[in-house]
Amino acid sequence: MTGLKPKKEAGKWRFSVLGLYIQGVKTALASRMAYRGDFIMSMFIMMIVEFSGPVITMIIYGNGASFPGWDMNEVLLLQGIFLLSRGISFPFFMGIVWNTIGRVQEGTFDLLLIKPRSILLMSIVTAFDSEDLGKLIGGILVLRMALKRLPEQPLSHWISFFILFLFSIILMFGFALFMAGLGIVWIGNYRIYEIFMSVMDFGMYPKSIFSKSFQSILTYIIPVSLLASYPASALLGSVDKDVILALLASIVFLLLGLCFYFKIVRNYTSAGG
Amino acid sequence: MQRAVMKKGNSTPRVSKAVITATYKENFAYRNQMAVSIFVQPIYFLVHYFIWQAIFQTRDQVSGFTFDQMLLYFAVSSLVEFMNWDSSGNKLQRLIQTGQFITFQLRPVSHIYFSFCEKIGQRILAFLVEILPVMCFYILFGIRLIPAKPVWAVISLLLSFVLSFLIRYTIGIFAFWFVKTDGVSRAVLLLTNICSGAFLPLNLYPQGFQKFLFYLPFQFVSYVPVRVFIGHYELAGITMTIPQIVFLQAVMVGVMFLVNRALWYLGIKRFAGVGA
Repeated sequence: MTGLKPKKEAGKWRFSVLGLYIQGVKTALASRMAYRGDFIMSMFIMMIVEFSGPVITMIIYGNGASFPGWDMNEVLLLQGIFLLSRGISFPFFMGIVWNTIGRVQEGTFDLLLIKPRSILLMSIVTAFDSEDLGKLIGGILVLRMALKRLPEQPLSHWISFFILFLFSIILMFGFALFMAGLGIVWIGNYRIYEIFMSVMDFGMYPKSIFSKSFQSILTYIIPVSLLASYPASALLGSVDKDVILALLASIVFLLLGLCFYFKIVRNYTSAGG
Repeated sequence: MQRAVMKKGNSTPRVSKAVITATYKENFAYRNQMAVSIFVQPIYFLVHYFIWQAIFQTRDQVSGFTFDQMLLYFAVSSLVEFMNWDSSGNKLQRLIQTGQFITFQLRPVSHIYFSFCEKIGQRILAFLVEILPVMCFYILFGIRLIPAKPVWAVISLLLSFVLSFLIRYTIGIFAFWFVKTDGVSRAVLLLTNICSGAFLPLNLYPQGFQKFLFYLPFQFVSYVPVRVFIGHYELAGITMTIPQIVFLQAVMVGVMFLVNRALWYLGIKRFAGVGA
């Protein structure tokens, strides 16, 4: 009788959100390990790819050119934050995009819909992208390199940075929801990624280099500035007051993403199989 | 008589026409996917526009490029990229991995030729769906898309079309050894993007690295056709006339073809059709 209790506890844990997620991670890693040489190489390349943005910045500054108001290390810090945000999002939840597109195309999305858990949770659980851990490592390395070259920042800057960085992840999740929703309607189109990646590209550079109208779009409509520009400014102690509106915009963006995703799922009538 | 009919049916122009038409029609069903570029490319270009506009606020030239020349470089480079894109390497890898490649061994047409015709069919559609609309955007943006030497520019673009195919197809051949080549493919794609000038004009890189790049085939995929389009070639302090660099590009296509065939010869011996 007493032996049943730990078993019950273990079952409870296993079927909790975190338990399910960990099982998903284990399964994804195990299946990717079938071609481990290719996996390691892919992960390494993912990491190297992340350096391309900072390398371009270094080349630009190496040629004597610069972004007005930003020195090279500050831009590298901004790009490191951007890459870290991407490095967390892509392996851990951005996989719902390709997972949804692939499953809708094959007809196996229906199998997720009949599981006794939320479709969003199931889409995330079955979409852990182990190769993208390379992005995370790349992001950490760039950020570390930039931080080493900059003067130490006070704790208050770090606290505001972490708050803004959290919103950066929230924004990424909003993007993932919109992309996954579009993936259900736009069957088999993996280029949906490109649409959003191109928009995200605006976040990899200081907000101040864009025209005023673009700055407004990037702050209040699609708050891409929150991906890196604002967190970097917060860490450097020069964040402007528009950040509050950007934070609100990111919450609205997430809510719209959730509404969009669940509305599309409700209207889904199966496409393949 | 029957042999003559068979021969006519399998003649090279007929096969190529059939493959090109079939690929065109097949891709036409997914034309919306190609059309994504009409949205994506202008955004990427705008990002570049703002980056370089900010940089040129503090100076008139960067490595010999004026602001307008830099925009022209990125515009032409993106068009070259659209024209050269192909998935022949990935397709070949999948065929080898699944064993379906065996069906090509039984067909009376070489796979490389078949694959090249597929690329032509696909890119003809891309020209209509992706390249023309993006060109219109550039023209509306005020980019003067007029080649300095039109005949040499066309030759150079055609050579880069063939060379990019050979590079991608050669990566696919590695599947005979590795089965899954996603990693190798990504590595070469990254190397191509960095070393071909798709990210940045190659003469912005450090001088030592430029010298290294000069001897690799990648510059002939993007940097050379763009420089031929602009009408002036220079890398690592080496200046060449347009006919000279186009000749060198043709030589590189020949070298790459020989490398491709040598690898094919070695790889095909390893194919056992497992999974078919």
